Amino acid sequence: MNSTQSLPMDKALLSDREKTLERIYAKTFPMVRHYIREHGGTTDDAKDIFHEAMILYYEKTVHEQLILTSSVSTFLMGICKNLWRQHVDRQSRNTALTENHDELLWEEPEENDEPTALKLMTFVEQLGESCKSILVSFYYFGQRLEHIAVQHGYQSIRSATVQKFKCLERLRKAVSHLSIERFKP
Amino acid sequence: MRPELEEVQVLEDYLQGNLNEEQRMDVAVRLLWNQDWQQKLAAQKLAYQALRMAGRQQLRRELDAIYTRLFG
Repeated sequence: MNSTQSLPMDKALLSDREKTLERIYAKTFPMVRHYIREHGGTTDDAKDIFHEAMILYYEKTVHEQLILTSSVSTFLMGICKNLWRQHVDRQSRNTALTENHDELLWEEPEENDEPTALKLMTFVEQLGESCKSILVSFYYFGQRLEHIAVQHGYQSIRSATVQKFKCLERLRKAVSHLSIERFKP
Repeated sequence: MRPELEEVQVLEDYLQGNLNEEQRMDVAVRLLWNQDWQQKLAAQKLAYQALRMAGRQQLRRELDAIYTRLFG
C-alpha cells in the first residue's frame, strides 16, 4: 500500500513524485493511448501528448494550487484531447499550404526561441550537480527548503536558503550577458 | 547573508509580490534610476526561465523512465 495515496495530490506529488506520477501514469496512459490510436495517432504520439499534459498538470498543481473537481484522469484526458486536436489542426493546415505552393515562405510561429532555450539550459548544467539540483528542486519541483536541506546534508534551513541564493546568483551572473544582448535596444 | 545575496532575495520577493507596500515602492523607485538593478532584474527573470526549462526537461526524462518501466 502506498502511503502517499491518501494525501491530496499536491502533497503527494511533493512527498513522493516518482510513485505518485507512476500511479497516475498507470491509470491514465492506457486511456490516452486508446483515444489517440482511435483518432489516427500512434503510441509514440500518445506518449508525447501525455507527457505534455502531465507536465502541465504538475506545474498547475504545484505552482498554481490547482484543485480539481474531477478526477486527475478526467482532467488529463481532457488536456490530451485538446492537445491532439490542436496537433491535427496544425498538420492539416501545413498539408494544405504545402499542396497549394502558395505560401512556401510561411513559417510556423516559434513558441520558443530554440538557440536561447538551449543556451539557457546549458547555463543550468554548468552550475554543477548540487546547485542544479537545489535550484530545480526548489523553483521547478516546488520542494520545500526543509526537504532540500535534509537531502543535501545542510544543518539548517537557513544554510540551505543561503546556498540556494548563492546558486541563483551564480546562474544570474551566467545568464546576464544573454539578457543584456536580448534587451539591447 | 552577504549584501549581494540579500539583493537577489529582495528581487525575488519583488517578482513574487512578497514585499510590503513600502519595500515594494523602494525597489520600484530604485529600478527606475538604477540601470545596474534593471539588468540584474532582467537576468534574474531569465534565470528563472532557465530553471523552468531545465525542470521540464528533467520531468520529461522521469516520465520517459516511467513509460519504459510500465509499458516499454
